Amino acid sequence: MLEKISVKDLKFFYGANLALKGINIPLYANKVTAFIGPSGCGKSTLLRVLNRMYDLYPGQHAEGEVNFDGRNILNPGEDLNLLRARIGMVFQKPTPFPMTIYDNIAFGLKLYENLSKSELDGRVEDSLKRAALWSEVKDKLGANGLSLSGGQQQRLCIARTVAIKPEVILFDEPCSALDPISTAKIEELIDELKTEYTIAIVTHNMQQAARVSEYTAFMYLGELVEFDETSKIFTTPSDQRTQDYITGRFG
Amino acid sequence: MTTISDTTKHLDMAASSDRARVLKSLALSDKVFAFATRAAAYAVLLLLAGIILSLIAGAWPAMKAFGFEFLITRRWAPQLEPEPVLGALAPIYGTLVSSFIAMLIAVPFGLGIAIFLTELCPHAIRRPIRLAIELLAGIPSIIYGMWGFFVLGPFLANHIEPSIVAAVANIPVLNSIFSGEMVSNLSLFNASLILAIMILPFITAIAVDVFSTVPPVLKEAAYGIGCTTWEVVNNVVLPFTRVGVVGGVMLALGRALGETMAVTFIIGNSFKISGSIFAPGTTISAAIASEFAESEGLHQSALILLGLLLFVLTFIVLASARFMLMRLEKRAGA
Repeated sequence: MLEKISVKDLKFFYGANLALKGINIPLYANKVTAFIGPSGCGKSTLLRVLNRMYDLYPGQHAEGEVNFDGRNILNPGEDLNLLRARIGMVFQKPTPFPMTIYDNIAFGLKLYENLSKSELDGRVEDSLKRAALWSEVKDKLGANGLSLSGGQQQRLCIARTVAIKPEVILFDEPCSALDPISTAKIEELIDELKTEYTIAIVTHNMQQAARVSEYTAFMYLGELVEFDETSKIFTTPSDQRTQDYITGRFG
Repeated sequence: MTTISDTTKHLDMAASSDRARVLKSLALSDKVFAFATRAAAYAVLLLLAGIILSLIAGAWPAMKAFGFEFLITRRWAPQLEPEPVLGALAPIYGTLVSSFIAMLIAVPFGLGIAIFLTELCPHAIRRPIRLAIELLAGIPSIIYGMWGFFVLGPFLANHIEPSIVAAVANIPVLNSIFSGEMVSNLSLFNASLILAIMILPFITAIAVDVFSTVPPVLKEAAYGIGCTTWEVVNNVVLPFTRVGVVGGVMLALGRALGETMAVTFIIGNSFKISGSIFAPGTTISAAIASEFAESEGLHQSALILLGLLLFVLTFIVLASARFMLMRLEKRAGA
């Protein structure tokens, strides 16, 4: 199976504090990989290494290798803007930009592509349809993105991410601020998106991990305890700690 | 202290009448306290009303003598016989133009510094730069005045302004704005530059504060679709904080309009509207400061009327700043 991203012996530091203690994990192309584990175990940190978001903050650095299509993106010379356009990210809280619904999506497109008005319209519509939001907003594309409900805002953020045609999408607890109906919609969406993208999702919701992912990684205290097919992790995990966590005995 | 421990004791015995008595005495002290704080707050309103009333009373003779003409008369001749001719147009012009130029210089610089400090600055030098800017705000205005008078003014007039004059000599409009006829150590432009330096810390400090209200995750989202720092600042940070930035700029403008000492030192105190910003001029506050001590009668009343005009001007600016900040808070709360 094709490894879209392979993480090799990754260590991550917040200042002097070691947050990831040598992680080795693959992200397979067109599969959903879920990251579970108690708060502070390093799963969000790992996600933030994959698009080098940590670079925005002084004092944080990573060691090891993150090979993306065979290229180590931890290289100092890596073009971060291009990298982040290829590896999109959806955050825990919806983060619409302070502009209209249309511009929220068109903004990212205009950064990289020189599109005519009609092409742009088409791409915006297409992205909103993929995020299952089109029917709800097609009559108010000029409204401010912040006027939407939380679930709609989150789907707008997904549409925005999808619009610029990334190859990998990272979801950092995308449903933790949403109601069950919106959550179901987002999960359905993730299922559709994996046909075209490689997906990583961090979640605290074990059922969600079981529902949406093919592979699951259990992390604990900065280490990768176990990585395997989701069905195996949730039925016959090989590590006692994984067993304890998924049955709710700790965490 | 005793009342409270007494209260607990009595409560234990469930002596409800004692409890009512204690609460009553507490209620009295509550009332006294509420009255005292309210009186202090109302005192401010009274003080403000008193200042306005005495300004109007002092300005009344001049209002009666000159009426609306006062606002559009360019001439300022307090010694003229038999009747002095006094008009506020020159000081109003000087006030507005010097503040406008100061804003033109200070706003881009201040915002630039704030963007650098919040988005780009290496951690190690962030504190020293912020400290330096705060110190800039702490320098008394008389020191800016002296420095402008002895150092900045002569330097600009001898080394910078002549070359600007020469460069635009053949360009219409510009050659009258930067006219070489009256280049002087003391001029409208030099005063504006000093003003710009004085309000820079205000703009920077407020902009840094409002820029840090942008949720980090929103910036990350923008970086996450591949934005450069400039694109994030231009499309996310500035739109998100627009109202707060405008509020801060208005506060700085309020200060620029009223700044007295430094401007009096360096503007030249000449009641002329020459059109050239390199020529001496005056502002409302500089006119009052330089003439009030030797004025009497109608002349003094006219100066007080100038003061009233400045009060109104500044009030409008500050009120609109408040209004915009209120809108910002409302949006942040939503």
